[in-house]
Amino acid sequence: MKLTKRDILKFTVAVSVLTAVPAIAQNGPIVIGATVPTTGPLSLTGKQYFNSLKMAEEDINRAGGINGRQIKIVFEDTQASNSTAVNAFVKLVQEEKPAFVFLSSYSTQNIAVAPEVKKSGIPVMYAGGADAVSDAGNEWMFRIRPADSLAAAGMVQFAKGNLKATKPGILYIQNDFGQGGAQVAAKQFEAAGSPVVGMEAYGQNDKDFSAQMLSLRQKGADTILAFVYPQDGAMLLRQAKMLGLKMPIVASSAAFVPAALQLLSPSDLDNVSGVVDAFVDTSAGERMKDFIDRYKEKFSMEADPYGLAYYDGAMLMAEGMRKAGTDPKALRDWLATVKDWPGIGHAYTFDAKGNGVSDLAVVRAKPGTKSLELVQPIKLN
Amino acid sequence: MSIRTLLGLVAILVIGGALSLVLSDYSLRLMNLAVVSAVAVIGLNFAFGYSGLISLGHSAFAGLSAYCVAILTTKLGLSPWVAMPVAIIATALSAALIGYPLLRLKGHYLALATLGFNVSFTIVAINWLDLTGGTNGIAGIPHLSVAGYELSDERSFLWFALISLTLVAAAAAAIHRSRHGRAMIAVRDDEIAAAMAGIDVTGVKVAAFTLAGTCAAIAGCLFATHIRFVAPEDFNYAHSITYLAMLIVGGEGSIAGAIIGAVVLTFLPEWLRVLGDAYLLFFGLMMLVILVILPTGIVGLVRRISLKRRSPGDETTNVPARAGAHS
Amino acid sequence: MADFIQLSINGLALGSVYALAAIGFVIVYSATGVVNFASGQFVMLGTFAGVAMLINGGLPWPVGYVGALAAMALFGALFFLVVYLPLRSSPVVTIIIGTVAVGIALQNAAQLTFGSWPFRLQSPFEGMTIEIAGAVITVHAVAVVVGTGILIGLLWLLLHRTTIGIGMRAVAQDVKAARLMGLRVNGLLAFSWVLAALLAGIAGLMLGPMWFADVNMGDPIALKAFAATIIGGFGSLPGAIAGGLFVGLTEVLGASYLSSAYKDLIAFGAMIAFLLVRPQGIFGERIQDRG
Repeated sequence: MKLTKRDILKFTVAVSVLTAVPAIAQNGPIVIGATVPTTGPLSLTGKQYFNSLKMAEEDINRAGGINGRQIKIVFEDTQASNSTAVNAFVKLVQEEKPAFVFLSSYSTQNIAVAPEVKKSGIPVMYAGGADAVSDAGNEWMFRIRPADSLAAAGMVQFAKGNLKATKPGILYIQNDFGQGGAQVAAKQFEAAGSPVVGMEAYGQNDKDFSAQMLSLRQKGADTILAFVYPQDGAMLLRQAKMLGLKMPIVASSAAFVPAALQLLSPSDLDNVSGVVDAFVDTSAGERMKDFIDRYKEKFSMEADPYGLAYYDGAMLMAEGMRKAGTDPKALRDWLATVKDWPGIGHAYTFDAKGNGVSDLAVVRAKPGTKSLELVQPIKLN
Repeated sequence: MSIRTLLGLVAILVIGGALSLVLSDYSLRLMNLAVVSAVAVIGLNFAFGYSGLISLGHSAFAGLSAYCVAILTTKLGLSPWVAMPVAIIATALSAALIGYPLLRLKGHYLALATLGFNVSFTIVAINWLDLTGGTNGIAGIPHLSVAGYELSDERSFLWFALISLTLVAAAAAAIHRSRHGRAMIAVRDDEIAAAMAGIDVTGVKVAAFTLAGTCAAIAGCLFATHIRFVAPEDFNYAHSITYLAMLIVGGEGSIAGAIIGAVVLTFLPEWLRVLGDAYLLFFGLMMLVILVILPTGIVGLVRRISLKRRSPGDETTNVPARAGAHS
Repeated sequence: MADFIQLSINGLALGSVYALAAIGFVIVYSATGVVNFASGQFVMLGTFAGVAMLINGGLPWPVGYVGALAAMALFGALFFLVVYLPLRSSPVVTIIIGTVAVGIALQNAAQLTFGSWPFRLQSPFEGMTIEIAGAVITVHAVAVVVGTGILIGLLWLLLHRTTIGIGMRAVAQDVKAARLMGLRVNGLLAFSWVLAALLAGIAGLMLGPMWFADVNMGDPIALKAFAATIIGGFGSLPGAIAGGLFVGLTEVLGASYLSSAYKDLIAFGAMIAFLLVRPQGIFGERIQDRG
């Protein structure tokens, strides 16, 4: 049996070389794994990159695949559970023998899966922001979004530099993202000579933020940094307006994703700016416009920076496979050397810890509307 | 130890050991998760199956122990072999301390009180950043090593976990057969009669709850050294409900039921993955169907079938009465 | 001071929602003895019945609300047939696990139907606010508080002044005796479920515009409703209200004056403390009924 298989393989290779046809039938498509939260509370963001990975798969295949070989992305659900995320990864690696895997955008899931990634020796891309993920120094893991500490630094820089904040207050969601970001921001404010006047937390499922916001006002905060997820972010911005908060609010990326924006009225966005991963807007260039339009056409929903990050990631992976092949080690080594690779959202350069993105964008809504405009890009190192 | 118990224990090792040689890494991992859950559920069987105490806080005890191991090994650099006994003793003491006041409650009151305890545990684990690392959890727990051999792959860990499970099951069976086990069942079936017969009802309940906590602690140690990462989400109240569901599906009041339930409910959602996004819908409905058609769990079904075959009047295999109804 | 008033009002509005969810839970518990762990999902379904009628169906709100409540009544009847009847003679724990299982299925079904994006349900009083002593409050929140009050009055009349309500209470006390007296026990039990689903539906419609509608909103609401029920007293309607308001107020005031990170410990700590010191809660059932 083995012999015949190998014979067939040799024969196919021989034929394809002889006829100079790209080796489509080499041995089926290249399998890529993706562990994505498609059910449970995290699926709000998960759906974005589930879609964008599908789109990337089609685009790569339409453009001739990887030197003639098609790719196939196999998805497994992580739910909102670390343990399920690890199960999903191990299942994929075991059953599909993927050449490459995309992990979810949730840091705790990334940290939980990290030992298995190392064991499997397969390069992966992930989008969880916590420093703890990259600090562990797993050479197989590449981050395709700005780290949370970078986003926090960007928010501080904008609040200090542009908004001239002297008495900043911080409001954060009690999860890996919020806690991590708030700590970094507080330290940076401290270092910049204007320590925070207050730090207030809220739970992932909270629906009322009046206590936190009024305390910050009470303490004299002149600017509020808000580390949020999409839905609570939207609610927080609405309640800030209702409570009559006058100070500017600098919100993290999630408050400006379409899922959050659709919940807001234009007036909710007065005096609010956001430090987002990337400015996903049709005005941001031809390739961006093309991505946004096609995404909307295909899935009848707006694309957000998370979706874009995974699309870029998939394209980068495809380029790596074209240049370095599908051998995991070779592909990893190639990725580690990527420098200024022009994605749609960012120019990707992987540092020693596997961080690929070092720039952000500050956005705000055009007065009286919900359409966003770029205030300024931020580049940090 | 009866022949049947001995056979059961040997069966765990033989079946588990045989499976460990043929299964893929993914199934081995699920086996490991099932075995860790089984240890916890055997513990829950003391509290609920034998003594009728509904606990929806079981996962918090596993978490307490897992966090102890994580903190002692990563922050103080202790060996897991030192950290684990400390974690188990600390957790058992906490179970006794928490159980003593709470166990005056019964039925759904106790259920909701323990649920409240579990929610509180999660809140503390999320917010005590310096100690627990918050929602980021604690990574980098060292591998267990036995005689210089590191249990770093699923297969070798499974052997270790199976031996732990066998030991816990043997201890549980011994306690079940002892005077203490009978006292627990007497308390479950009729508290007042038990008290009249001279049984220290409160003492028995606290002992059962502490035993439950101890098993949860052992499961927590296994969890911490298997996954080597702990986070608050791993020990929230939903996991406590899952443990209870495992016991009910397997068949409460039975060690075999605890193990079977843990295996079935660990593998079921993973098998249903083929259904795509709708698999949790099917999982929920299947659970409901199991509860309706197998009111005494899988073990109860097996017993009913074997009872029918055997001559009537074989009292020793009687299905224990269901506990936890309004008493 | 203005801050304190603002916080108290927000706490009351939050508490009204918890109270409504708790009432649905209590109605089922006192009529059927079932501890319904899917009660949070009931509220979620109520909100999404509103989403289906008002957003997807585009109906004007009076028609949409009636349609949504009709759908919820149907759901209550269905739940009675499919979940309660098969499990009715099972022990407490089996029913707890059963309702959890159904809750998981309902949540997944809602996600498959409505997707994971949250919705914003418009209020009939959209954008209207009033000011009280420097504190700002939406008219919707006031309507919720007032509506909850009226609803509770009607509920009391139903349970104490109508044949159906008196029958329900008789069934709750002793099913056998009720049957011997010629009451249609099954019909009354079914009605309890329909009533609970309706209340959850109203809660869902009321909270839809205050919070966003999202398919995962059920469990957090249920947890707070449990705490409210215990604090107020298991099986007591006034207790559910008092407990709900207490949980809402401590959540907001605790976050302000104690710690925003640990505020939820106050509600759950109070719940455990009540269980230990006064298990019948503020208004609860008599002590010999417990357990």
